[in-house]
Amino acid sequence: MKNEQVKARTPKNIFVKWAIAPAFIADSIQKHHSQTDIGGHSIFLGQVRADVIKGKKVVAIEYTAYEEMALKQMHAIREDIFAKYPLTCMHVHHSLGTIAAGEICLFVFTSSKHRKAAIDACEETVERLKAELPIWGKELFEDESYQWKENQ
Amino acid sequence: MQVNVMLFGRLADITGSRQVAVQNVQDTNQLLQQLKNNYPALGNLPYLVAVDEQVISDNTMLTDGSVVALLPPYSGG
Repeated sequence: MKNEQVKARTPKNIFVKWAIAPAFIADSIQKHHSQTDIGGHSIFLGQVRADVIKGKKVVAIEYTAYEEMALKQMHAIREDIFAKYPLTCMHVHHSLGTIAAGEICLFVFTSSKHRKAAIDACEETVERLKAELPIWGKELFEDESYQWKENQ
Repeated sequence: MQVNVMLFGRLADITGSRQVAVQNVQDTNQLLQQLKNNYPALGNLPYLVAVDEQVISDNTMLTDGSVVALLPPYSGG
């Protein structure tokens, strides 16, 4: 494999216009098969929850983003994380559009020689992207009403 | 001089559009005042202001073609 550190310096598009399929996640894992310097992967998957709010059930979340700004911010987060942890690579994918309850809307995947860097980097990336990226989720209810979500 | 304003989330619900053009404002304070005059419901809502994709905290001069974005609390992930 080529030097992932160099690849990490180029801004990447994290957005996909659909739910993240389990097969895509499996394929991402498979792609690291030849990188035998990796000793640990850490994966976070965000799933759309069917919350019940005032008696109405969330059936899906519709995600929108200020994409250009979000990609710049994500690039800065990626640079910080690579500077802080000895990672081999990092992959981030976030859904846009309508994602049904039970589907995966966020996939963060970090890899390193030893587990701790991968685990800590994964957690920090998830926390930072939830706090810093201009992305909005609109919770759609079964009766076609909606409310705007706010991260806790 | 024209400034393009991008609105997201519940703010776009209030304006009815994700893009609004505002004429004859020199800085972000004037711009926000004009938006609040046009859309009083914006007045009480929390949001950050970004000018050309940079979040600002102080009044910022605008130039023709500046892109200002109003960002309500994030809810990605």
